[in-house]
Order: sequence, then structure tokens, then C-alpha cells
Amino acid sequence: MSHAATTVPGHDQSHPELGFIRRYVFSLDHKVIGIQYIVTGLLMALVGAALATLIRLQLGWPERTWPLLAQLLPKGYAGGVMAPEFYLAVVTMHGTIMVFFFMSYVLVSGFGNYLVPLQVGARDMAFPLANMLSFWIGALSALLMIASFFVEGGAAAAGWTAYPPLSAVATAVPGSGMGQTIWLLSMAFFIASFTLSGLNIVATVFSVRAPGMSMWRMPLTVWSYFIASILGLLAFPALTAAAVMLLFDRHAGTSFFLPAGLVVGGRHLTNSGGSPLLWQHLFWFLGHPEVYVLILPALGIACDIIPAFTRKPIFGYRLSVWCLVAVGALSMVVWGHHMFVSGMSPFTGEYFSIATMTITLPMTVFGVNMLASLRGGAIRMGVPMMFSCAVLALFGSGGLGGLYLGNATADMQLTDTYFVVGHFHMMIGGVTLMATFGGLHYWFPKMFGRMMNETIGKAHFWLTFTPFFIIFFMQHFLGIQGAPRRYYAFTAYDFLRETRIQNLVVSSCAMVLIASQSLFVVNFVWSLFRGAPAADNPWEATTLEWTTSSPPPHDNFGQAELTVHRWPYEYGVESGDRDFADQRVPPGRVPVTA
Amino acid sequence: MQLALEPELSRREETVRLGLWMFLATVAMLFAAFASAYLVRRGGSDWMRINLPPVLWLNTALLVAGSGALEAAHAVGARRRWLSASAACGVALALGVGFLLGQLVAWEQLLSAGVDMPESPHSSFFYMLTGAHALHVVAALGVMLWTGLLTWTGAGRRQPRRWAAAMHSTRTIWHFLLGVWLFVFALISLY
Ligand code: HEM
Ligand SMILES: [Cu+2]
Repeated sequence: MSHAATTVPGHDQSHPELGFIRRYVFSLDHKVIGIQYIVTGLLMALVGAALATLIRLQLGWPERTWPLLAQLLPKGYAGGVMAPEFYLAVVTMHGTIMVFFFMSYVLVSGFGNYLVPLQVGARDMAFPLANMLSFWIGALSALLMIASFFVEGGAAAAGWTAYPPLSAVATAVPGSGMGQTIWLLSMAFFIASFTLSGLNIVATVFSVRAPGMSMWRMPLTVWSYFIASILGLLAFPALTAAAVMLLFDRHAGTSFFLPAGLVVGGRHLTNSGGSPLLWQHLFWFLGHPEVYVLILPALGIACDIIPAFTRKPIFGYRLSVWCLVAVGALSMVVWGHHMFVSGMSPFTGEYFSIATMTITLPMTVFGVNMLASLRGGAIRMGVPMMFSCAVLALFGSGGLGGLYLGNATADMQLTDTYFVVGHFHMMIGGVTLMATFGGLHYWFPKMFGRMMNETIGKAHFWLTFTPFFIIFFMQHFLGIQGAPRRYYAFTAYDFLRETRIQNLVVSSCAMVLIASQSLFVVNFVWSLFRGAPAADNPWEATTLEWTTSSPPPHDNFGQAELTVHRWPYEYGVESGDRDFADQRVPPGRVPVTA
Repeated sequence: MQLALEPELSRREETVRLGLWMFLATVAMLFAAFASAYLVRRGGSDWMRINLPPVLWLNTALLVAGSGALEAAHAVGARRRWLSASAACGVALALGVGFLLGQLVAWEQLLSAGVDMPESPHSSFFYMLTGAHALHVVAALGVMLWTGLLTWTGAGRRQPRRWAAAMHSTRTIWHFLLGVWLFVFALISLY
């Protein structure tokens, strides 16, 4: 490959000193944009956590009054009692914010932006300007979503899945009015932003890799972002289409999703013939791939952390890559498993069951490969490693629940109960959360040139993982007892009275979980300013980002010529006084094993 | 000297092409989603066909002619006949604007016949699909205008590679949207 062909955007231009605004606000640097996404996502997580607190206060102590909350939120807590409509809005916004504005931003756009160019040896993303636009459109969409709390009627209340008719009839519940409209607009911006950053990731992986960085030498993190981005690009337009149609149903009198004969608030609606199930199909055509968009990077991150702490190569690298590809492809054709009770034909249900069972195969192989990577290693129990083990634990437990749900017969009983809530929190909540914390501890030194505190990190780990596991493990059993999700006052039902104590335990654990996140906040902020200075490669890891300084210069690798000579998991080799060889070490110095 | 129609691409040009195609793939998925919704909704008991205004055929012709004009602009530009190329770009732009106006006429005719969006599911889809397509055409006209300006101001003469890349993107987008339109038109008139 000729040298000229390897120049990439951002490299050949010289970089005059940029002012503060160009450098940190409207920056084109993928590292700055990545960190902007991460910080935005973490702030949104605080909002999401506050909402979770309200949910769990209501469910744990259903007949208490909350004078303090009544003062803070006079509309939602009139007389100190949570209003049922407010509860619905809180649940809806908790889900929306956590899935789209916390996890998607931190894990996919944030780490994706930061890591992908560094790990493939590029000087920046393929389209830096589109990347900056992506962040600012994304920030706008987050602001819009938050703003919807303050409009007439409050935030959307139709669930993060926005099923019509609740989401389509503006008079259905207070949140169905302005709040729902803003929800839809915000999602449209979100999709635009995610599309821009997805295009960037795919194009970067395809065409701006360093010389020698063949696809089979890419770290699993890069592979996972690559596949997740393709998935996102193909799946998100379905929600765009659905959102457009829903907006027309709401504001132009069409009947895409509204059936005939609806009576809302004593008023007979004139719509006819629309199909609420059509929305469900379109939503889940996006929604199911979206959950994999989130979990694949989480698994990828864990796969890159593990070898650095076991000092041996990841087990079954190529097989794992093929599993990612298979999971990506299959995830486009299983969406119907969210709709088993929607009256679909048993044959369709059978198909979706079988497809769903099929997707557990590559997922299981991937998980077993991760487990096997632990075997026989000289494990260093650093904080990133602890979180990676938690990724594995939650992935296994959540996947087990998925097996029951994927079986149409069992799902008839379990759907819309807390079993589902437990399942998806372990997956989309837990695996991703643990990977986020693991990744932040692991790459913090690279991002900011300082180490995070180990002791606080370990305390934070135990105070996060333990209550998290208890909460969502117990929710599976609540579901088996028949407790429906999204109910505001379970005490109104005789058969649920016995779940009282369980809900109390869950809520108490939730309070511990949420409170202990302050440890992380303290650690993060304190380490930013006072953390021990980080070496270039504090974890003795092999991928390219560790071969440059901490934090890396604007063009990532400085003047140095960048050539990749080996795969990303060259651990446990003889290399002078070291037991690893980074991807730039030439074969003459250390033999290439893969 | 003649510019090669397909010069060897630089790494950067390849990346841009790839990015463009991926973006168009998402647009294709968007219309595929609309189309699948159409197929599902078509089964509803209240489906009532509307009569599509015949001006749509004329609009289709304008769009096809626009593609032709762009091809001509590309071909003469590659032979460095910049004046003809500018003229051809101008024609393509005019045809594109003509298409949009024609679509407006179609809306106007339907509306004055009393067929508005909620009238029937068929009309709902008609307005939505033509509207979504028209928005994409507006964006494409922006790109086309840019390429036309490159040609007309002589920037293309000074930087032929840049011109060729811009021309390539414009043609790709325009032909793609023509394809989308033929698909949409066939769907709403045949099924
Ligand atoms: C082992 C593989 C998995 C299987 C077999 C599986 C199966 C299912 C099924 C059948 C449902 C629908 C339950 C119902 O509503 O009745 C479901 C819900 C869900 N799953 Fe999974 N799942 C798997 C992995 C995952 C992963 C990896 C994630 C996310 C990262 C995830 C996230 C979700 C979410 C968010 C929902 C609930 C959405 C909602 O109704 O609000 N699942 N899963
Ligand atoms: Cu699913």
C-alpha cells in the first residue's frame, strides 16, 4: 500500500492553535466528541436515576405521603401522593432516557467515537464535520426530551415503546398531548444524530484503517461497534417512518394506527381501520436490533478488558467475530417475539420462537468464549476486570430469562410482567451498565491522563453489582407470581398483596444502588483533577490506543509512522521483560501468533 | 485532454462514496418501512382508492429528464466543455424544480377535488409518500445546485477532481431518488 493512500482526514492539515470554542465545544476531534457524548450521557443517567428513585419510592412504600416531593413537584405529587398519570410519565421517561440518552450516548456514540479511530489507527473519523453535527443534534434531542417534562400535561406517558392508541390520541392521558409530540420530535433528532455517527463508524472501519490493520486484526471492540452501527443504520429508519405516521395520526387526522370505534374520555373518535399492531411491528423492527446495538459494544468492551487482566489472549477470537456477525443478522428477524400475545397466527409465533432460539446459539458461544478466556489466566482483579466479570454474570443470567421469554408458550404467561422487566434490566440495563463502568475505569487514564482511584472503584463495584443483581433477580420471581409491569398501585390487587415485602426489598436495594453511584461521581471528578498521573499504557495492553500518549495528541499518533503487524491479543509472549506485544511490534522482535 | 470518466479513486473519494451509499441505504430502509406499512394497511376494510392526478406522469417524465440532463452534464464536463456542462446543470436544476412544482400541482388538484389527507388511507399514504420523497428531492437539489455552481464558476475547471467527485455524488443521489420515485409511484398506483 502506498504511503499517500494512508493519509487520512485531519492528518495532512496542520493544526494551528484552536480557540477554546473550536477545541472543546464545536470540536471536530473524535476524542473530544466522544467525551462530550460520554459526559452528556452520564448527566442524562442522573436524570434517569432520579426517575427510577420516584418509581421505587412509589412501589416500595405505596401508602406513604411525601411532603418534600410535594414541594419539589407540586403537580406530580399533589398532596404528597404520586399521581397515577405522573407515574406513567416517569416510567416512560426513565426507559426512554436510559435506553436512548444514557446507554446509546455513552456506550455507542461516546466510546465508539473515542475508541474506533484510535483502535484502527486512524487520525480521526472519516467525516469529522458530520461527527460534530451528530453530537449537537444529539444534544438538542436530549434537551428536547428533558424539556417535555415542563410542557402542558407533562412528559409522554405511553411507555418507551409509545404504543398507540395511548400515544396517538392526544386526549388519552395528560402526557399524550404536547409531551408525546415532543417525544416524537426528540426521537427524530436522536435518529438523525445516531445515523450520522453510525455512518462515521462504519466508514472509518471500512476505509481509514492503518496499514497492516486487516479486518482480522481489529479488536473485538471495533468489531462490535462496526456491527452495531450497521444494525442501527438499517433498523432506525423503521422508527422514523413510524414516528412520521404517528405524528400524522395525532395532528392531521389520519388513521394509520387508530382503529374504528375508539372511545376516549367519553368521546367517540372518527378514525377507522388503522392498526395499532402496525406500530408494534415497526417499533420492534427497530427496537429489537436496538437492544443489540447496545449490548454488542458492551460485550466488545469486556472482551478487550479481559485479556489485559488475565494476561492471555481472548479465547476463540475468530469464532467470536462470526458470532457477532450472526447475532447482528439474526437480530433483524426476531422482532415478533415482543408481540406473541398480539394475536399473531400460531405459525408466525412459532417462526419467531425458533428464530429467537437460534439467536441464543451464537450469543451462548460468545459468552462461553468469554468464560473460557478466564481459564488458566493469571487474573489481576483490577476494577475494570471486576466490572467485566459482572458483564459476564449478568449476560448469563439475563440470557437465561430470555430463553423462557423467547418460547411463545411460556411468554404468554410471562409477558408484561416483572419477569420481562427483570430480564431486560439484566441485559440492556446491567450488561451495558457494567461495561460502561468497566470501560470508564479502563480508558479513563487514556482520556484524561490520570488514573481513577482503585479503592473507591472497588467499593463502588460491590455497592453497584450486589444490589443490582438482587433487584432484577427478584423481579423475575415477582413476574412468575403474576405481578404486571407498569402498574402504579399493586396494593389494589389481592393477589399481589403478598409481594409487599419483596417490593420493599427491591426498593431498598434500589436506594442503595442509586445512592452508591455518588461514589462513582466523586471518584470521576476527583480523579480528573487529583488522580495519579497515568502512564501511556497503564494496563500493559496491546491495542493501538495504548501505544500513544495519555491523553493522545490531536492527530492521535503524532508524527510516528503507524504500521500494524499483529492481531490485538498478543499476550503471554516473551518480549524482553514484558509478557505482551502491542500491535505495532514488528514480527522480528516478537513472533506473530495470529 | 479528456478527463477519464472514472479516474482512479483516492482513498478519500472512496470513503465519501461509501458514506454516501450507506446513507442512501438508510433512505431505502425508510421507504421500505413506509412500503411495508402500506402493504399492511392496504388490508384494512376501509381502504378506498383515490384517483391519482394524471400530472404525476408528467412529473415522472421531468424526473427522468433531469437524470438525463445530469448524465449529459457529466459527459460534456468530462470533456472539459464547461459552458455546455453548466447549461446542462441548469437544465437539470430546472427539471428538478419543475418536478417539485408538478407534485404541488398534484396535491392542489387532489385538495380541490376534496381529497385531503385523512380522506382515505390511500390518500394518507399518497400525501405522506410524495411528501417524504419531495423533501429528499429538495435536499438533492441543494447538492445539485452546489455542483452546478462549481461548474459555472470555473471551480470545476481549476479542480477537476473535486468537480468529478461532486458530480458523481449528485448523479448517484438523483438517480437513486428517481428509483425511489418509480417504486413509490408504482406502489400507490398499482396496489
Ligand atoms: C438470549 C437472548 C435473548 C432472548 C432469547 C430474549 C428474548 C426476549 C423476549 C422474548 C422478550 C419479550 C418479552 C415480552 O415482552 O413478553 C424480550 C424482551 C426484552 N429484551 Fe430480550 N432476549 C434476549 C437478549 C436480550 C438482550 C441481549 C437485550 C439487550 C441488551 C434484551 C433486551 C430486551 C428488552 C429491552 C426487552 C423488553 C422490551 C419491553 O417490552 O419493554 N434482550 N427478550
Ligand atoms: Cu427482542
